[in-house]
Amino acid sequence: MAAETRREAVSEASSPTRLVPGQLPVHVGLVVSILLMASPLLLAIVMSTQTVPEIYDIGDITPGSDGLANYVSVLTTYNMLTYMANSLIMSVLVTVGKIAVSLLAAVALVFYDFRFKNGVFFLILFTLMFPVPVRIVPLYELMATLGWSNTLLALTGPYLASATAVFLLRQHFMSIPESLVEAARVDGVGPLEFLWRVLVPMSRGMITGLGVITFIYSWNQYLWPLIVVSDQNKQVVQVGMKYLQSVGNAGQTDWGLIMAGAVLTLLPPLAVLIAFRNPLLETFGLAE
Amino acid sequence: MSAHETAFDSSLGAYLLLLPTLAAIGAFLYYPSLQTLRLSLYETFLFGQNTRFVGLGNFASLLTSNTYLASVGLTFGFAAFVVVSTLAVGLLVAFLLYEVTNGKAAYLIAAIWPYALPTAVAGTVLLFLAHPSVGIYTFYLESWFGVEVDWFTVGWQAFLVVAIAAVWKQVGYNVIFMLAALNNVPESLNEACDLDGVGTWRRLLRVYVPLMSPTLVFLVVMNTIYAFFGSFALIDLMTQGGPTNATNLLIYQLYRDAFQFNNLGLASAESVILFVIVAGLTYVQLRVSDRYAHY
Repeated sequence: MAAETRREAVSEASSPTRLVPGQLPVHVGLVVSILLMASPLLLAIVMSTQTVPEIYDIGDITPGSDGLANYVSVLTTYNMLTYMANSLIMSVLVTVGKIAVSLLAAVALVFYDFRFKNGVFFLILFTLMFPVPVRIVPLYELMATLGWSNTLLALTGPYLASATAVFLLRQHFMSIPESLVEAARVDGVGPLEFLWRVLVPMSRGMITGLGVITFIYSWNQYLWPLIVVSDQNKQVVQVGMKYLQSVGNAGQTDWGLIMAGAVLTLLPPLAVLIAFRNPLLETFGLAE
Repeated sequence: MSAHETAFDSSLGAYLLLLPTLAAIGAFLYYPSLQTLRLSLYETFLFGQNTRFVGLGNFASLLTSNTYLASVGLTFGFAAFVVVSTLAVGLLVAFLLYEVTNGKAAYLIAAIWPYALPTAVAGTVLLFLAHPSVGIYTFYLESWFGVEVDWFTVGWQAFLVVAIAAVWKQVGYNVIFMLAALNNVPESLNEACDLDGVGTWRRLLRVYVPLMSPTLVFLVVMNTIYAFFGSFALIDLMTQGGPTNATNLLIYQLYRDAFQFNNLGLASAESVILFVIVAGLTYVQLRVSDRYAHY
C-alpha cells in the first residue's frame, strides 16, 4: 500500500506537463551538446558571406559584406550547379532503382517457396562483407571494360543491389497479416499486382524510410565517384568540393566561396532528413 | 507451411523476381570480389597491362613493409579513438534525449542532423575552421590556451583533427540507435530505480548500458567499419595521409597504391586484408550478440 502511493508520487513527479526541477541539467546538457555539434556549421554559414580580406582578418566572426555573392559565384562560375544536378540525378536513380529491385526480391523471398531459398537469401546477405574498398580495383576495371567510365551507369549500377534493403523489406513483408495474403491468393491476384496494390501501400513508411537512408547514403558518396569519373562536367558535388580547394588569388584561398559550396552540398540531404524524419526514425526502430 | 510462403507457387516466377538483384550482386559484388582475390596473387606492371604470378608475394611484401604495418597500427588506433569517442558522446546525448520531457522532438532532430552530414563537408568545414593559419578555432585555441596548433606539420594534431571530424559526422547515427534501445527499457525498471534511489549516472552505466549491449555491439562494428572506410574523404580533403604518414589510414594507402601508383596487384592484396578485417568484425559481432542478447 505504502509502496503504491510512493510509485504514484514518482510517476506524478515525472509527468511531462510540468518542468521538473531535475530537468534543468538535462536541458542545459542538451543545449550545450547541440550547440557544440552545430557550431562548425553555423560558423561555416557566417564565413560563407565573407570576402577574402574578411576571411583573412581572423577572429572576425560577424557576417561578411559579400551577402550571397559567394553562393552565386560558386554555383555558376565554379560549376557547383552542374555537380549538384549530377549528384541529384545519381541519388534519385540509385534510390528508386534500389528500392524497386529490392521490393521484387523481397516478394520472392517472402511469398514464394522455391529451391535454394535460404541459399539465395544468404547469398544476398553475404554481400555485406564486400564494401566498395574490398572490390575497388576489379570494379574499376569492369567499368572501363564495359565502357561505363564517366557515365551515370558507373555511378549507379554498382549500388542497385542492397542486402540491407532486401533484409528490411523482407522483415516488413513477413508481418503482413496472413488473411490478406490468403485473400489475394483466392482472388488469383498476380504477384506484381499484389505488390503494387497491397504491399506498397501497406509499407509506405518503411519504403520512405529506406528511400531517405538510400538518398543520403548515395548523395554522400565520395571515393567511388572520385575514381570512376574523371570528366569534371560529369562529377558529383562531393568531389566538386575538392576542385574548389584550389580557388583563390595570390596564394589566398577563397574560403568564403568554399564554405558556400560546403553549405550547398549539405542542404539537400539535410532537407530530406528534416522533411522525412518520422518515417526515417521509424525505419531505424525509433517510433515517434 | 504459412500462407505467406505458398501465396504464389512458381519457382520460375520467384527467380524472375530475384533476377535483378542476383544479376547486380553477381556482376558488381561477387565477380569483382573474386577478381580481387585472383589479382592479389599477381604483380602488375605498366598500368596493369602486364601481369606476373607471384603467389602470396604481395602479402609477403605488405607484411614486411614498415609503412604498411605502421598504417595497420594507425588505422586500428584511429578506429579505437573514433569508436570510443562516438559511443561516449552518443551515449551522453541519447541519455539526455531519453530523460528530457519537454521539447523532445525538437531536441531530437537538432541532435541527429549530422546523420545527413556528408563526410566531405565535415572535412572541408573543419579544414578551414581548424586551419593552422586562418582557422577561427586555431585562433582562439592559441590565444586562450597558448597551445601551438600546427597540424599541417605535427602528426598527432592531424590525427586528432581528422578523428574529431569523423566523430562529428558519426554521432547522429549512434544517437538514433541508442535512443531506440533506451526506449525498449521496461518502464517498471525505471520505477524500481527511482524507488531504490539509484543515482542518474549509476542508472545509465549499471542498468541501461548492459541492457543496450546488443545495440552497442552493433554500433561498435558499424563505427569501426566507418572509421576504416568512411573516413577516406576526410583524409583526401584534409591531410592526404600526412604529415609524414601520420594519417595514412589503410584505405588511403590502398587508394594511392591502386590509383596513383597503378600497383593493382598490391592494392588488391590490401583489399583482401581489409576484407579479412571486416569479416572478422562481423563474426565477432554475431558471436557477441548471440551471447549477450538480453531481449
